[in-house]
Amino acid sequence: MIRARVVHAVLQCAPMDGPAPPRALAAADLAALLSVTRALAAPFDLRAMLGEVVSAAKQVLHADRGSVWLHDAATDELVLEVATGIAPVRVPSGRGLVGACAHQRAIINVPDCYADARFDSRVDRESGYRTRCMLTLPLVDHRDELVGVMQVLNKADGVFDDYDETLASALAAQCAVALQRARMTDAIIEGEKMRQALEMARVVQMSTLPTVMPSVPGYDIHGTFIPAELTGGDAFDLAFVGERLLVVLADATGHGIAPALSVTQMQAMLRMAFRLGADLDTVFRQVNNRLSETLAADRFITAFVGVLDPTTHRLAFHSGGQGPILVYRAATGSWERHRPTSFPMGAMAVDTVRPAMTLALEPGDIVLLASDGIPEYENGDGEQFGDERVCATVASHGGEPAAAIIDALLAAVRSFAGSAPQDDDMTAVVVRREGTSAATAGDEGRIIRRTFERTFDALAQMVDFTAESFDRLAIDPRHRPTADLVIEELFTNMVKYGTGSAMPVELGFEPSLDGVRIVLVDRDVDPFDIRRSREVDIHAPIDERVPGGLGLHLIRRMASSIDYDYDPERRESRIAVLLAGKQ
Amino acid sequence: MLTIETGPDGVIVVAGRLDAAQAQAAQTFLDGVAGTATLDCAKLEYISSAGLGVLLKTQKRLLGSGGKLRLAGLSPHLRDIFVYSGFDQLFEIDPAA
Repeated sequence: MIRARVVHAVLQCAPMDGPAPPRALAAADLAALLSVTRALAAPFDLRAMLGEVVSAAKQVLHADRGSVWLHDAATDELVLEVATGIAPVRVPSGRGLVGACAHQRAIINVPDCYADARFDSRVDRESGYRTRCMLTLPLVDHRDELVGVMQVLNKADGVFDDYDETLASALAAQCAVALQRARMTDAIIEGEKMRQALEMARVVQMSTLPTVMPSVPGYDIHGTFIPAELTGGDAFDLAFVGERLLVVLADATGHGIAPALSVTQMQAMLRMAFRLGADLDTVFRQVNNRLSETLAADRFITAFVGVLDPTTHRLAFHSGGQGPILVYRAATGSWERHRPTSFPMGAMAVDTVRPAMTLALEPGDIVLLASDGIPEYENGDGEQFGDERVCATVASHGGEPAAAIIDALLAAVRSFAGSAPQDDDMTAVVVRREGTSAATAGDEGRIIRRTFERTFDALAQMVDFTAESFDRLAIDPRHRPTADLVIEELFTNMVKYGTGSAMPVELGFEPSLDGVRIVLVDRDVDPFDIRRSREVDIHAPIDERVPGGLGLHLIRRMASSIDYDYDPERRESRIAVLLAGKQ
Repeated sequence: MLTIETGPDGVIVVAGRLDAAQAQAAQTFLDGVAGTATLDCAKLEYISSAGLGVLLKTQKRLLGSGGKLRLAGLSPHLRDIFVYSGFDQLFEIDPAA
């Protein structure tokens, strides 16, 4: 194959119907060309290949010296990677003999260099060599791309002639292909090295994650890390420091090896500092300051660093840029959002830090930490999963084990994202205090709330949640079928007509003296007062009866009272239906 | 969950929850019913307007061909719903199951 191409190249350079070549190809020269070609077919790396090409050119053209300039397409410069006795140098395309050759993609044969204005004699001055004559050839590969420029200097017995140009052209075509092949091989090897380095960084990153979740009396704690295909810099840690538990979730900026390693470094610093007995404020400040010394100026790590005391049920924390910190309060069924306490770690050194924040955890409360790979996961339409969906998903699995809560969250993200790829690491940590807020049963004004996705599929979950809430709040079960009806009718209405809203629907129960108040909150919707909806003529003949409007009609008949509020600023409808007395 | 099937005596037995999620399944079954049929609701725990819509559509169809749907075994809660919706006037409701 290669042999045939050489001959073809030679023939092309010496066409039969054009001007006759000055002399026929000497058998010795053809043999030299072919042996060079065979040599070039060997799997050299780029540097070796350049040396091989130069020595081939010298041999075939009887030249004293040779050099190959590689074309850097990114900068459109020619780079002298290797040359016999000449230091590397870069020349813009178009300048000098090399640049002109690259630009014109044509052979330039200069018999007397010092008589040619394009010749740059600086190289000679620096090297002490005297260039007499020079042949400059473009190296163009089989896809017609400029690979570089080859120069041969000082023919042994005179100047380069037409015959040499023909030989050189044949050689150049082979050199170009061989060089391009070596270049691509190098790029692949480089890519493979990078991939292996990334993989190694990943192994280091993963190895620092807890393999077994800590067993903390009265708590259910779980962390999960789902790496992105390339890299991110997420990590979490759950480790005992004496009787207390260190809770960390961190996300180093950027992609590549650096964030994976810097987050690992931070994690090691934290564990060591706490084990040496340092307090939270000191640890946070010291680790921040050490990181700011070691991280590059444009790098930082967002990190939640907390210490849970399982006897006092207090979670003290600093959060450098990691947030929001979401806290589910079981007693009210509501969410608290805490902002980061300071800027990301490693961004700059500080002398003092604000005192740590403290959360008091009640039975059933959940602290959720999630790296931004979760709320910022985009679906095919470029829409992000968002904090609201994070809260809604976690709240609707609030009573489940921490691992199940995280599984449900990640499943919800995947179902939202569809086939959209995961661009960033996803990490979540759930700290759930065991027990339910039923410990406070008997208190006035207790409300249980949960949010549900705006789909008909959520109905079954609402029925389960209603049963659970009736149990927990000790509501008379005779209200159950009517409660189910009220919820189904109102919720299906919301799903059918609130199509412009992506917000979940909140359902809440509040026990009343002899019944229950059911509250549904519909967000980002137009007002719709069910008290003013169309009346149904229940005495109409069957031909005139239609199912529409029947649900709201039934609610009006069966409810003890209905309240409706609309907040135009938040575009929020709140419907409260009281079921009381004998149902 | 909802089950709906014809018993050995020709009575259609419906059990479980006839809600929005199950309405289509019930409709598909009742579309295959002809003539006059009795629907035993003793094990029907729950019905919403979606379920009432299914019964209404079936009744209109059967009445059009000279048949009808009779209901039996309604719990007090279901009976209330039939009364509040005026469906007690559209269906013959047997007092006992």
